[in-house]
Amino acid sequence: MGDSDIIEPSAYFFGYIGVASAVVFANLGSSYGATKSGVGICSMGVLKPDLIMKSVIPVVMAGILGIYGMIVGVILQGKVSSITAQSASKQGYAYLSAGLCCGLSSLAAGLSIGIVGDAGVRANAQQDRIFVGMILILIFAEALALYGLIVSLILSQTS
Amino acid sequence: MNWGNPYNWGAADWQQATWGERFMFIDPYFWSYFGVGLALATSIIGASWGIFVTGVSLLGSTVKAPRIRSKNLISVIFCEAVAIYGVIMAIIMIGKIQTIESYPDGQQDECYTTALFNGYSLFWTGVSVGLSNLICGIAVGVTGSGCAIADAQTPETFVKILVVEIFGSALGLFGVIVGIIQCSGATFLKNCTS
Repeated sequence: MGDSDIIEPSAYFFGYIGVASAVVFANLGSSYGATKSGVGICSMGVLKPDLIMKSVIPVVMAGILGIYGMIVGVILQGKVSSITAQSASKQGYAYLSAGLCCGLSSLAAGLSIGIVGDAGVRANAQQDRIFVGMILILIFAEALALYGLIVSLILSQTS
Repeated sequence: MNWGNPYNWGAADWQQATWGERFMFIDPYFWSYFGVGLALATSIIGASWGIFVTGVSLLGSTVKAPRIRSKNLISVIFCEAVAIYGVIMAIIMIGKIQTIESYPDGQQDECYTTALFNGYSLFWTGVSVGLSNLICGIAVGVTGSGCAIADAQTPETFVKILVVEIFGSALGLFGVIVGIIQCSGATFLKNCTS
C-alpha cells in the first residue's frame, strides 16, 4: 500500500498540534481555576483570615491540572518523535486526539474547579459545615480531568 | 497507513476536481480519531458545566440550610455520570480503530471507500454522543441547582425535583445508545475484507 518507507510528513504536523493543545488547554484550565478561586479567597480572607490556608485547596487542585497537561505533553512528544512509517498518518491523528482529549478535559475541569471553589470558599466563611461539601464537589470536578488523562494515555499507545 | 493513490487519479483529474471530490481524500483515520476526541471532550465539558452550575447553588443554599448538603450531592453525581458515558463511548470507539495492513489485489478503491465509511461513522458517533452529553450535563446541572435551592426552602420538594433530574439524565443515555448503534458498523479490518 504505497511506499512503506516514507513517513507521511503531515503526521508530525497533527502530532505536534496534539502536544501543544494538551499543554495549552490544560494550563488555561489550571489558571482559570486558580484565579477564580483565588479571588474568592482574597475577598473572604479580609473578614476571616484564619480560614485562608484551608481555602487554598481549590487552588492546589487547579494546579494539578497543569501537571496532567505536562505529563501528556511530554509523553506525546516522545511518541511523535518516534512515529513509524507503517501507519504514520494514523499515529499522527491519534496523538492529535490524545492531546485534545487531555487538554479540553482539563480546561473543563479547571472552569468547574474555579467557579465551585470561588463559591465554596465564600460560603465556607459563613458556614463551617460547608467545607466537606465543597471538597466533595471539587473532587468530582477534578475527576473529570483524570478521565481525560486516562483516555489520552490509552490513545497515546496506538501504533 | 499509506493509502497511496486511491481511485488512481492522474494530474488531469486533480486539476479539475471539485471540492467535494477532494473532500474524500481527507484521511479516514483523521475522522475516526477526531470523533473519539469530540465524544470525550464535549461530554466532559457538559459534565463540568453541570457540576459548576449545581455546585454554586448547592454551596450558596447550604449557608442558611446546612441539612441539604449531603442529599443534594446526588445532583453532582448525576453530572459525573455524564462524563463516564463519554469515557465509555471513547473507549468503545478506540477499540474499533485498527490499522489496515493490506488489501486484496485490485480492491484498493473498495478498501478506501470502506475505510471512509468507517471514518465518517465514527466521527458522527462522536458528534452525537458528545453533543447529547453536553446538553444532558447542562440540563442536569440547571435542574440540580433548582433542586438545591428549593430543598433549602421546602424539604418536601427534593424528591419531586429529583424525578425531573432523572428525566434529564436520560438524555445522555439516549446519546450513548444511538452512538453504540451508529458505530457498530464501523470495523477497520486488518486485511480490509476479513
